Amino acid sequence: MVFTSHIFIFYFLPLTLLVYYLLPVPRNFFLLIMSYIFYGWWNPWFASLMLFASYANYVCGHVIATSPVGSVRRKRALVASIVISLTTLGFFKYFMFFENNLNAMLDVLGAGTLPVIQITLPIGISFFIFQSLSYPIDVYRGDSPPVRNFFDFACFVALFPQLIAGPIVRYNTIAEQLVQRDHTMEKFTSGVALFILGFAKKILLANQMGGPADAVFSAESPAMLDAWFGVVAYAFQIYFDFSAYSDMAIGLGRMFGFEFPRNFNAPYLSDSITDFWRRWHISLSTFLRDYLYIPLGGNRHGERRTYINLTIVMLLGGLWHGANWTFVIWGAFHGLLLAFERWRGKESVYSRLPRPLRVGITFVLVLFSWVLFRSVDISTASAYFKAMLGLASASGGSVLLDSVIYTRGNLIVMALCALLAVCGTQAHDWVEKLTVTRVVLLIGVFVLALMTMFVQAFNPFLYFQF
Amino acid sequence: MTASKRVQILLLSLFLLVIFGEGAVQAIVELGRGERPQALDLFTRTPNAANLRAYETEMEKTAWSAKALRPAMQYVRFAGYGDLGEKALLGRDGWLFYRPDVSFLLEPWPQTVATPVPQDDPLKAIVAFRDALAERGIALLVVPAPGKPSVYPDRLSARAARTHTGAHGHARAFMDRLEEAGVSCVDLFALYREARAENADAQLYLARDTHWSPVGLRMAASAVADRIRAEGWIAEGAVAYEEEVVAIQREGDVLRMVDAPRIAAEFEPEQVDCQQIIDPATGEPYRDDPASPVLVLGDSFLRIYERDEPGSAGFIAHLARELKQPVASIVSDGGASTLVRQELQRKPELLRGKKLVVWEFVERDLRFGMEGWKLVSLPNTETVAPS
Repeated sequence: MVFTSHIFIFYFLPLTLLVYYLLPVPRNFFLLIMSYIFYGWWNPWFASLMLFASYANYVCGHVIATSPVGSVRRKRALVASIVISLTTLGFFKYFMFFENNLNAMLDVLGAGTLPVIQITLPIGISFFIFQSLSYPIDVYRGDSPPVRNFFDFACFVALFPQLIAGPIVRYNTIAEQLVQRDHTMEKFTSGVALFILGFAKKILLANQMGGPADAVFSAESPAMLDAWFGVVAYAFQIYFDFSAYSDMAIGLGRMFGFEFPRNFNAPYLSDSITDFWRRWHISLSTFLRDYLYIPLGGNRHGERRTYINLTIVMLLGGLWHGANWTFVIWGAFHGLLLAFERWRGKESVYSRLPRPLRVGITFVLVLFSWVLFRSVDISTASAYFKAMLGLASASGGSVLLDSVIYTRGNLIVMALCALLAVCGTQAHDWVEKLTVTRVVLLIGVFVLALMTMFVQAFNPFLYFQF
Repeated sequence: MTASKRVQILLLSLFLLVIFGEGAVQAIVELGRGERPQALDLFTRTPNAANLRAYETEMEKTAWSAKALRPAMQYVRFAGYGDLGEKALLGRDGWLFYRPDVSFLLEPWPQTVATPVPQDDPLKAIVAFRDALAERGIALLVVPAPGKPSVYPDRLSARAARTHTGAHGHARAFMDRLEEAGVSCVDLFALYREARAENADAQLYLARDTHWSPVGLRMAASAVADRIRAEGWIAEGAVAYEEEVVAIQREGDVLRMVDAPRIAAEFEPEQVDCQQIIDPATGEPYRDDPASPVLVLGDSFLRIYERDEPGSAGFIAHLARELKQPVASIVSDGGASTLVRQELQRKPELLRGKKLVVWEFVERDLRFGMEGWKLVSLPNTETVAPS
């Protein structure tokens, strides 16, 4: 199910809220059932995979919790949870990638190719596998207590507000809330406000920017200006799409008494790549830091090892996004820039320039990385880079691209996106102080977004594919 | 968060009113009509992915709120953004374009990346059809109809108008491949380009329709007839068809696809002077003859003015007038790639006595043709009694 759908807004959400608040106990169990309905709505069979991942990690966590610290049994349980989780993720997400690359190699060697087994990628698998894996690791490290029962744990993994596209909620963040959480009108109201803002960002901004971004990225040979326009549109689409999902997730969480971590903090105001990763998909950055970078040694084994660790973490972070070499190169691009900035004392090479210029240069670097992120393959990305650099000329039907991308609607919304992206006040901050004027504005925006939803085609969130 | 109780209650009340109101009103409306609330349909079907998608789509379609608000929102987006929705694009000077026509020109073709469903190769289908016809002594003439943006890029794009750049590429390249494979084609792209070079304002297509105008189709029919005569595929007929000017009004199929009456009201219907073809023997409008040596296959480019208003004024009738004899035809809207051949397979009598098949399809169907480009065998005509 998608948050920005008729069925969710007008049926699933009201029904879930109504029953949740009418129920005295056990509310987690009800949330668990509704979360499985929410997830299974896409394809009921996928729910069984989530159940398997949850149960496997719950059992491993239980073994860890009941085994003496330092025991072999404890270590084995941890290894088992990691192997089961990563094998599941690897099979569903990377097996076809492996098959295709193997075939490409065999083809080069003239050895013939193997038949490729088609595997459907379960939606949101990267998110729920990472979340469920965080539990045995946290328990092993002693960072969180063992969960009191399987239903609470399954509820944590499946929790529908943030199930499909995060923020990635680690078990130790939410362990206490699963047992005891506050339901106050103030919290509920701020959740509603955040949900509305996220909903509006997705429908009114991200979806509108998706049009020109898709048109340019799928064009045969865009002109230089069109290519820049397309990648800027994509930068706004992915930001307002993904941050919208996070806002809605956090807002929905608050409606049910949860407090999820903030996932974005004005990333396009970053003045270096290091700064960008403090502001973009914060829950993934911290997850990778705590569960990968630090276990790899972090910065504790000298400078050279630190740079290598940073690059490895970003490479794997790229691969986490998708089974495609474009994501690997995207990760490597960021990893190398981060390592370079670390070498310079966490400063960019342009750190002495005035802040607006630093922000501008960082944005351009991020734009180049988005080309890799958005392109279907490396050759498409390469052609796009050429177009951006003026090394390729527009030809054929691309002369018509202006009629599709420079429309009044796209120009208005892009200007609005630019304003909002550089505006220091983000949705999270804005809902902190609600006045009558802001409430009227919120409801107006909500109704406008709902009306727009009625005329838009199905448009799922970009991060659903990850 | 800081907000007074009053503000919190205000926001919560309005939010809950909106999210609970829709379902409640919908149920009341349906119960008022004596129907079971549609929401309960969920429990009447097996919960699999397809049924759940269908349920969700039906709920969206029939929602009172969507029905009530959609037209207003379509108009607001048109007035504010110049947005005509998923199917149409607003061009210049009130011209409207069908989005897939534009996508076909903008995007690479054949697709350079893997597509979810493997694409059929139109060349294979056409060559196989040509060969199968040739075995029976029937010639094939292929007529790719240019999409409107290929002929009028300047009415869509300010850049094209400024640079005088043409937009056609894929279809021209495809016709080269056809000719290399020995398939006869008529190049309407060059024909229209020359016509517009002589007179940039030549009205070869309708402004708010995907199709050609009466002027455009007459030129096409004339070019096809010239080619047929030049090749000597059939003997010239002797019917001296007459013409009668019939004026009609067309709203335009692009505007109709937008499906927004308030937007449609912003555009005047186009006044179109058609030349209806009259059979001199009967004084009645032209009618096909299934026994003709010529069979014409095609899509809505053949349907417009011929089977639509005013009738017998489309490409088929004008081709018959040029050839001085009636022709037979199979027309399938959007189905010229495969469906027309499948229909021919079901109507073997139409192939009896044929010397020539003229096959028209719009260029975008090379990629978007309904049912793709399947290989379809010819029907067995030997078992069919003469009609």
